[in-house]
Amino acid sequence: MLGPGVTWYLVVAAILFATGTLGVLMRRSPLIVLLSLEIMLNAGNLVLVGFSRLHGDLDGQVFALAVMAVAASEVVVGLGLIVAVARRRLALDVDAMKELRG
Amino acid sequence: MSLAGAWVCLLAPLAGALLITLAGTRITRRQAGWVATLSVFVAFAGAVDTLVRMLNRGADEREQLSTAYSWLRIGGLDVDVEILVDPLAVTMMLVVSGVGGLIVWYSMGYMAGADEERRFFAYMSLFVFSMLLLVEAGNLLILLVGWGLVGLASYLLIGFDHHRAAAIAAAKKAFVMNAIGDATMALALFLLISRLGTLDFAPVFEAAESGALSDTVVTLAALGLLGGAVAKSAQAPLHTWLPDAMEGPTPVSALIHAATMVTAGVYLIARTAPVFEAAPEVQHLAAALGLVTLLLAGAVALVQQDIKRVIAYSTMSQIGYMFVGVGVGAYGFAMFHLVTHAFFKALLFLTAGLVIHHLAGEQDIRQMGGLRRFMPRTDLAFLIGTLALIGLPPLAGFWSKDAILASAYANGGALGWALYVGGLFGALLTGLYSFRLYHRVFRGEPSQLVLEHSEGHGEGPLSMLIPVGALTLLTAFGGVLGIAGVWEPLEEWIAETSEPLVHASAGEDYGTSLIAVLVGLGGMFVAWRVVRMRRELVSEPRLLSTLEHKLWFDELYDMVVSRPVQAFAGLLHDRIEGPLVHRSLDEVARGSLEAGGSLARAQTGLLRTYVLVIAASVVVLAVVFLVVR
Repeated sequence: MLGPGVTWYLVVAAILFATGTLGVLMRRSPLIVLLSLEIMLNAGNLVLVGFSRLHGDLDGQVFALAVMAVAASEVVVGLGLIVAVARRRLALDVDAMKELRG
Repeated sequence: MSLAGAWVCLLAPLAGALLITLAGTRITRRQAGWVATLSVFVAFAGAVDTLVRMLNRGADEREQLSTAYSWLRIGGLDVDVEILVDPLAVTMMLVVSGVGGLIVWYSMGYMAGADEERRFFAYMSLFVFSMLLLVEAGNLLILLVGWGLVGLASYLLIGFDHHRAAAIAAAKKAFVMNAIGDATMALALFLLISRLGTLDFAPVFEAAESGALSDTVVTLAALGLLGGAVAKSAQAPLHTWLPDAMEGPTPVSALIHAATMVTAGVYLIARTAPVFEAAPEVQHLAAALGLVTLLLAGAVALVQQDIKRVIAYSTMSQIGYMFVGVGVGAYGFAMFHLVTHAFFKALLFLTAGLVIHHLAGEQDIRQMGGLRRFMPRTDLAFLIGTLALIGLPPLAGFWSKDAILASAYANGGALGWALYVGGLFGALLTGLYSFRLYHRVFRGEPSQLVLEHSEGHGEGPLSMLIPVGALTLLTAFGGVLGIAGVWEPLEEWIAETSEPLVHASAGEDYGTSLIAVLVGLGGMFVAWRVVRMRRELVSEPRLLSTLEHKLWFDELYDMVVSRPVQAFAGLLHDRIEGPLVHRSLDEVARGSLEAGGSLARAQTGLLRTYVLVIAASVVVLAVVFLVVR
């Protein structure tokens, strides 16, 4: 098999996933949170593609495409919400948006 | 199919009821009345057709069953929807649809202008259908279905004026009293199912006659059927609903509470005669209850002041005679009295309805008097009805009542004598109360109320007068169905279905008639003298109060049944419902609220806390998987 072994894909994916998680946990701007979420999704995609190559089977790559499509839709909704919040001149801060507390 | 007439007879009133219900406001009130009247007359035509065909067959081929379809099949029990047509059933079919048709026709005039007339006519048709189902039933279960349906129709019609509290209370009372009878009847049927596995007439009767059932079973089954008959026919001790049922419109009283439904008990005993004959003590109990009722009702009727209630008590009393008849096994004569009673009692009620109509709803006989001057034809019809009720020759009641008394005499023994003497005393009471009623209403000086309402009034619309005229003729000449010792077609006709146990000789019959007529005339004379002297028949205060309270039956039931049940219900409410059910439910609700409140604190609304929890959980899970493996 050409290129690096599957272990490397997994390592890179793990680093990406951890980065994304830390981003979601630590940043307060909804825009960056959304961005970090995309990084996490792409970590998942990378794992899919890596295993797809390992097994010589295209199913995983097809699934990665599906994940991208879902991610794109999700971004549309998320960005729309952020624009709506910004238009109403509310604070763009996830900690400020806590009206659903019990 | 030779039974097509019988099916038409059964289904025409049902079709009428459905048509009126479905057409709703698309037909006028008058058209609804015509639909109901015509449907019942179509039923009468069907009954006549059935009779003619039956007369063309030999005596042993007259009993015919016709099955529509198989209805229930549970375990070994097969019940079909089937009708049985035999001489007994045809007699009842003719009475129900014939007298019923006249009364529905009459009610078109009586109910004109009343609210919700269409509903009234739909109920009337429903009642006629139910009653025909009852009398044509081909097995005991179908009979019970008809039995329940007539109770329902009676309930709906008594409570027809649903804005009057008294009418609603009377309807409920009738329903509850009848439900007792329905329940005992259902128990009897359950017993028969468990012992015989069938409810068809023939095998049940065969088992009762051959002794295949033990004495206890037969006695219990007969008692259950008797309970149903006693409740439906308003015999003591389940009679208290009938006087109150007079809250319904007068045509309803005439059709249901005089001519047809209340005589269903007599029909039931005649129909299931083999069961009663296998349990003679129950049959004698029926006769004894009839005697008690006829005396009790006759006595109470002496003091009633409401024209319809007097006739209602008289109905109870006359059905008492019929019970005496079936109790001693004179089925033919009991049915004969049923038929003539249907004629003259419907006549009395309808003429009373004319009077009430004339006086704009007044029913108190103290307000009446002298109506003869203004309503001569009504007066004549009422007089004929009254004389037939007292049993004067040659009117219908004379032939039938005396035949029952003669049969009681022929039965002999202590019971026979008691029935005979009691029945004759009942004839005296009949003479007293019915002539008092007649004199109070039609003779004497016109009262203020009568004068007020008689300016330029006719006697009533034609649709009311024609049925009254027809019933007057039937009352006058109905006696030809059975002239003792000479020509007794009805008795022989019924004997094909239910063989009589006793038969009085012509001598006994005419002897009885002589005494009964003399006693009745005596009663009439006393009533005439007393009313002429402007006095009441009963003036002794304690007796008067007892009779006015109808021998304290209502008070007794109130004390023995109603109050304890209500007290028990109150106790349950205070001790069980309140502390246990209500408070425990409150506790459950409060507990849920508190649990919800404390859980809600975990819901911070902070996005990042949620993510942290999720991430931490994933880490914990990962560690667990790694370690456990």
